[in-house]
Amino acid sequence: MRGILLACLAAGLALQAQPAAQRFTLPNGLQVVHQEDHERPLVRVRLHLRIERGDTPPDRQGLPLLAMRMFVHSDAADLKAEAFDRLLEDSGLQLEAISVPGGFEWSLVARSRDQDRGLGLLADRLLRTIFDPMVLEAQRLACWRQEEGQDLLPYLRLQQVLVQDPATRPSIASLGAITLEDLLTFRAKVFRPDRAVLVIHGDVGLEQAKRLVLLSLGSWTTQELPQPLEPSFSGAPPTPAATPASQPRILATGAGFRIQTVSPRPVDLQPEAFDLLSLLIPGESALFPVSIAIRQDDLVTTLDAGTGTTWPEAWSMLQDRLAALRQRGFSPGELDQARSAWLAGRRLASLSAETQMTSSLIDALGRGTTPDRMRALTLDQLNAALRVWLDPRSLRSGTAGGAELLRTLPTP
Amino acid sequence: MRLLVAILLTILGLQAQTPRLTEVQERRLANGVRVLLVERRGLSAFHATLVFRGGWAEEPPAAAGAMELLARTLYGHAWPEDVEPSKTPPALDALLKQEEGLLESIRLERLRLRQDSASSSQVPALEASLESIQSRMRALFSGSPVSDLYVARGGRQVAEATADALLAHTQLPQEAFEFWCRTEAQRLRVVQLSRFSQTRAALVTGLRAQGTQGLALLRGAALPGHPYGRDLTDYVPSLEALRWSDLKAFARRSLKPDHLTVIIVGGLSLDSAMPILEHHLGALPVPPEGEDAVLPEIPADLGDRRVQAALSGVPRLITGWRIPSRRHSDHLALRMAAQLLGEGRTSRLEVRLVRQKALLQQADVTMDIPGGRLPGLLVAELRPAVGHSLGEIEGALHGEILRLHQEPIPHDEWLRAVAQFEAAHIRTLDEPAALARALGQAWAEGGDWRLLELDAQRLRTMTPESVQAAVRAWLKPSHRTTVLLEPTPGAALNPLEADMARVLTALAALRIEDPAKREHLVSEGLRQLRMLNPDERIRTLKLLEAQLTPEKR
Repeated sequence: MRGILLACLAAGLALQAQPAAQRFTLPNGLQVVHQEDHERPLVRVRLHLRIERGDTPPDRQGLPLLAMRMFVHSDAADLKAEAFDRLLEDSGLQLEAISVPGGFEWSLVARSRDQDRGLGLLADRLLRTIFDPMVLEAQRLACWRQEEGQDLLPYLRLQQVLVQDPATRPSIASLGAITLEDLLTFRAKVFRPDRAVLVIHGDVGLEQAKRLVLLSLGSWTTQELPQPLEPSFSGAPPTPAATPASQPRILATGAGFRIQTVSPRPVDLQPEAFDLLSLLIPGESALFPVSIAIRQDDLVTTLDAGTGTTWPEAWSMLQDRLAALRQRGFSPGELDQARSAWLAGRRLASLSAETQMTSSLIDALGRGTTPDRMRALTLDQLNAALRVWLDPRSLRSGTAGGAELLRTLPTP
Repeated sequence: MRLLVAILLTILGLQAQTPRLTEVQERRLANGVRVLLVERRGLSAFHATLVFRGGWAEEPPAAAGAMELLARTLYGHAWPEDVEPSKTPPALDALLKQEEGLLESIRLERLRLRQDSASSSQVPALEASLESIQSRMRALFSGSPVSDLYVARGGRQVAEATADALLAHTQLPQEAFEFWCRTEAQRLRVVQLSRFSQTRAALVTGLRAQGTQGLALLRGAALPGHPYGRDLTDYVPSLEALRWSDLKAFARRSLKPDHLTVIIVGGLSLDSAMPILEHHLGALPVPPEGEDAVLPEIPADLGDRRVQAALSGVPRLITGWRIPSRRHSDHLALRMAAQLLGEGRTSRLEVRLVRQKALLQQADVTMDIPGGRLPGLLVAELRPAVGHSLGEIEGALHGEILRLHQEPIPHDEWLRAVAQFEAAHIRTLDEPAALARALGQAWAEGGDWRLLELDAQRLRTMTPESVQAAVRAWLKPSHRTTVLLEPTPGAALNPLEADMARVLTALAALRIEDPAKREHLVSEGLRQLRMLNPDERIRTLKLLEAQLTPEKR
């Protein structure tokens, strides 16, 4: 009897501990990762939708961003946008949509008792949103304002401009050229269950999770691409996108100036190398006075120069520091240190449901790594990855400073 | 068998229960440090927050920016040179002192040159000496890219200086708990601040680049003369004059054990954690009794105030009402009013002014600006839609406030606000980092961490009528300050403001010798002048100009 009691207690406690993720796939191809955690009466859902490079036509930069805004601000199912939001907030549901590298993500947090309604509303948003031409015009403008970032502080604005790939950075022309038809085509191409991964975490058992997901998203099917409509909804004729300046210049007060560069994550960078370089590069003391940080998937390098330094001097210093790091690379000891820091850091995931969900999502997307693969990474592979990531040809740079300095900057 | 069922039901019941803060265990260490521990079995890591009561509002004006600097230098990283005495090179202290002397000499030489630009400059020679000292210091620092002691153990740390507290948050794997205790105790004993000069330079650069912000203008006008109304961008010269040894002395005065609460959320039990905490943090010396800063109270009824300013960016209307501190009985009711007005996509400002009337692009409502320990502000920040003036949206905002004063709050709207509050509360309890921060904030602002739970309990008995009564008492014109920000395309300063700055600088130069004090006086003068309307400003400018000799005008 005592043995049974102890076993029951242990089982109860184990339920509260971190559960292992379980995967299943719906008949429509939607991949689902389930993580059970009854510690709090909360259920969290994250849905990731992959966007591929060919999904946006060449002269329609900003199409994904605009599509995302349309989803947030349009009517869904038989509900007006306002009524939809009221339903969400009546139950204290939190539903957010964000753009992430390589896709869109919807994030839902619901109290356990509201999980059915939460999943149902997420499905309505995804599957039954009605794009309205009136909403399109308002969101086109809002999109441009967001891109301009006029209300951001100068340094943040510089970074916002730089982290965007010039090839996909929206312009007034490209946003103006997007029609309702473009949006519908984009939606049909991208909003498919076989491009999505859903992570469900929290106070919900596996069977209940299966039932919930099947009920709400089981009817999600791949849509036919719409036939071209004539004439287009937007009066704006398609125009080629303006060529973005390759070296943005942002006006800032103060006597000094800031040069910033962004090195986007190389497409074929191994996840193990990415994780270790993310630990090693920002701590590299030889870069001083240049600082370097990882923002989402990009390496952001910053040099703040005072009045005693000219722009060419600062620019050359920044390039020299990066070149020196690229050439030198990291040592075997540094690789070992980073590897053990990475291994120890995995335990921090237990502190945050969101982090656990991110890890599950990354694994499901095939971008995760394991301790074994981390141990297998060699120093040569790491340093090769460093050289690729810091390749000067992929560097995007810009300056924030006073009007006088910006006027005299050399033309890129 | 029945017993078994009962146990199983108990376990399941525990798992389904509504979260409560009864899981918080409180203890006091021998030297006065408070400990709050939330045990979460099954976690293989812990989150720890150190909360030092008394944030930047308690800084004396001469040490303005010290808390922000401490957050960045003391708690930005865990460098071995700063926290491991055995790894601190003996020469480092001497070099830091030399660096301090050179930095001060360079500052004074620059000030001298501003008064006498014709004389020869010692700055290049001093800067060369400084560079030599700094490169010797850098050579003493650990060269490993993973030298941060917490990063090397898989952890991370961030710190923030708020108006009411300094908070340092750390996350580490469970087995590093003792290491964390030792490191934090050592950090407070040594207060080495080895990266002081570069951190200060980065802060100054950031402040100069961002310039004056709309919210800072509002705080200055709504809370005049009060530390809550201080804008750090006005104190850049003082910040540049703040020395390494000044900051060390400030840290020793402010970061005292009896001002500290340690909050731990993780898989640690109180029994296992207390001896370690007592051994390390409990052994921190208690400095001699000093006087705690006494902060002035500002009457809420200062009258309706207005500020017009030209700043870069988009046009904005920022309105703030002076509201009571977090301990006041009306505080929670005002929080609900803020929720009804501006939180979420179904709030009144969002639905009526953004969606239905299309007057606004965006509306944000925030409580307790800049803090909640003392009376602060409830702030509504509105951005007009294209084609609508600031005057128009100001009228619309006043209309919404009046509606809240006069019309009963519909039942469904009230229930929605309560549901949002409760859901947000559960989300806070769920995440160790959010829970630790909320507990720390409740303690620093309200003097008791239980306020976090008390608010949730009080909400159950609160009525819409009590919210309306609080709104009538506090959100009224005599408590209000309005800032109207119109951008000047391509310029950070409009011509009138530039003229004002020139005349004030010239006048200050006649009366004040210390350039740092002079610069501060000019900033303060500009802030006061922004409260006048454009005609009054022009008249004031002429009056001030008249006090200058013709050649200086």
